[in-house]
Amino acid sequence: MAKGAAKNSFLRFFSEYGMLFILLLLCAYYSFATLNEQHPTGADAAKQVSSDVIKSAKSGQVSVLVAAGEGTEAEVFVDAVTAMLEEAGVTVADTIKGDPSDLREAFDEIAKSGRKIDFIAATQEASRWAVLTNIATNFPSLTDTVLVTPRSYLWPDFLKRANLIAVADRIIVIAVVAIGMTMVIITAGIDLSVGSLIALSAVMSTLLIRDLAGAENASAFGMTLCCLAAIAACGLMGAFSGLMVSRFLIPPFIVTLAMMMVASGLAFIIARGQSIYQVPDSLVWLGRGANLFGIPNTIVLMAILYAAAHIVMTRTVLGRYIYAVGGNKETARLSGVPVKAVLLTVYAICGALAGLGGIVLASQLKSGAPTYGLMYELYVIAAVVVGGTSLAGGQGTIIGTLIGAFIIAVIQNGMNLTGVESYTQKVVLGLVILGAVLLDMLKRRGWRGARQTGY
Amino acid sequence: MMLKRMAALACLSLISSVMVLAAGCSRQDESETPAQVEESAAKKPDKGVIALSVLTLTNPFFIEIADTMKDEAAKYGYEVLVVSGEFDPARQNDQVNDFIVRRVSAIVLTPCDSKSIGPAIKQANTAGIPVFTADIACLAEDAKVVSHIATDNYDGGRQAAKAVMQALGNKGKVAIIDHPIVESVILRTRGFKDELAESASPIVIVGSWPGKGSKDESFKVAQEILQAYPDLNGIFAINDPSALGAYAALEIAKKTGQITIVGFDGQPEGKKAILEGKIYADPIQFPDRIGRETVRTVVRYFEGERVEPELLIPTTLYYKVDAENDPLFKET
Repeated sequence: MAKGAAKNSFLRFFSEYGMLFILLLLCAYYSFATLNEQHPTGADAAKQVSSDVIKSAKSGQVSVLVAAGEGTEAEVFVDAVTAMLEEAGVTVADTIKGDPSDLREAFDEIAKSGRKIDFIAATQEASRWAVLTNIATNFPSLTDTVLVTPRSYLWPDFLKRANLIAVADRIIVIAVVAIGMTMVIITAGIDLSVGSLIALSAVMSTLLIRDLAGAENASAFGMTLCCLAAIAACGLMGAFSGLMVSRFLIPPFIVTLAMMMVASGLAFIIARGQSIYQVPDSLVWLGRGANLFGIPNTIVLMAILYAAAHIVMTRTVLGRYIYAVGGNKETARLSGVPVKAVLLTVYAICGALAGLGGIVLASQLKSGAPTYGLMYELYVIAAVVVGGTSLAGGQGTIIGTLIGAFIIAVIQNGMNLTGVESYTQKVVLGLVILGAVLLDMLKRRGWRGARQTGY
Repeated sequence: MMLKRMAALACLSLISSVMVLAAGCSRQDESETPAQVEESAAKKPDKGVIALSVLTLTNPFFIEIADTMKDEAAKYGYEVLVVSGEFDPARQNDQVNDFIVRRVSAIVLTPCDSKSIGPAIKQANTAGIPVFTADIACLAEDAKVVSHIATDNYDGGRQAAKAVMQALGNKGKVAIIDHPIVESVILRTRGFKDELAESASPIVIVGSWPGKGSKDESFKVAQEILQAYPDLNGIFAINDPSALGAYAALEIAKKTGQITIVGFDGQPEGKKAILEGKIYADPIQFPDRIGRETVRTVVRYFEGERVEPELLIPTTLYYKVDAENDPLFKET
């Protein structure tokens, strides 16, 4: 009997956290599939390379050339290697920070003057430049030069810090909008206008910043006001959809399809079809900044929104009303739920969150264009549905949606890292969405839709 | 109980099979790439990956750029990784992030949006990965692009004007079917107008209409132009789909003999229309040359040459005579 109980609890666990399990499985799979040679960069690389040079230099006069490309990591590398070598008494003859052509000029000069270089300390990137790999053919006098580069180690590309941030970056807009979409879908509705609202909000906020807040010189306060105005406008458009759905009983699919066109058209009209980029650099604070212990602001924003939405849906009257409306509108009405007000609120929240998504996108890309948000409504709906929310209404969780969003992001990211072709990606993503929803259906209803008889 | 277990198993197997499919694709890719080995023995050329993100892979123009880049890069020992932004600036931004994570050697972009691509290029700059643009330039000021390789669109626009003057005997009324959102198209139209103005042509430009560079939009807009200007003599369409859309409108209005169309691009469909006399001429672009020159520029950059910040590839006018001698139509 105990065995059966264990099996039962396993199945319950699986059905409760099935999607989380799949997410972890995907992460594990891509960690394995992207296991790759990595090279330390910056200060770590410098430490390794300079100690290697010092070791093999033994003693006496050796001269070293330090080579690296452009960028911050490369700069750190050059400065650190130079400092460490000089501390150990090794002469650093030349330092190159720049293009391969800078290195070539240095070689030309060295070859002409007849100087000798014993070691070249290079970053991994620079060591692959053709000018360095072909050194023996082009500069015979430098044939004996020893190239020292950082040693490689194995680590999945997928689990690199930069990549995990890329995964979050990829999904932030969709995840934020999916909160509102989850609420709408739980009321048995749908909102197709979110993609267009994202574009509208991105265009509107950047336009206001350009024309009213002082373009490139806009203050943080001015920008905040502009962004809030754009979010409010999107919230109002959402509320309008809600009004049409609740008062005039037009099916949400039709209302929001119309709003999708209206919002997209408005975005093109106010932007005159162009992208708007006359914004201050500080606009990227939200999309690319990291103020809290180096955690990107987008992730902090996402965490706050999800926590808030989770509390709303599980601990507040509004949350209970939303589930009630989706479960059975008539019963809800009879038990005193203000159905119309709930619907209006839910669509307004969804619109406002789409507006916020547009702001995040404008911030990430430091510009607004009416072409943003193309097809996002479908990805948002996919995230919600993969997360276990039923399109029939009444069922679904905010946390499930977050997991759904991450499943989609991890698949897309993983396929890009493993070099799966764009066309194939679409097929795989479609099948995964289908598989996930099928799993969810079966979990709820069992094989062939048989009513489950309980545990 | 039983049913539920079966259900769960069925789903798991479905999902895992999808993952195996994805894995199959990636493995195939890996076998093409020689694994990176022997770090210390760097005497042997250990070339890297050139990552390419194009505007779209639904247009043969970009497919040809990508294909020639692959072939040309293989000659120099590089591998080309091709992805497509499909007109979505945010998606292209993510793709560049992925390139940075993979630490590719160089990034080549045809930006989905000349301004919005700025932050992504800036990130590549910070990571020390050189960025090149092909066909479409980046217009964000703070982003550093090593070199831009593209068609000389401005001069192409001038050639189109010359063709129009020839065809119309240097008189009459001309309409432009435009797509003033894309930088390259703006240059084409500007070249067209400048050439007419500078050669003091009596040809009148009655106006420009947005055709979105697509056949269906240009078809609709051309129908309206024909209503507004029944005495029109010529149309300059900024690419082949626009020109063919305009031609469809001429067919419906039964004006195919009266109005001359000059297009732009020289895609197979456009060339065929020139062969059939539907389009008078095209200044044609050479996507293969763009692809080849892009790879050569990347290679020269790594060899330590100072590469030019902009490399323009001229168009040439392609008439019916050229189409008759084109090997493209000889095989069938």
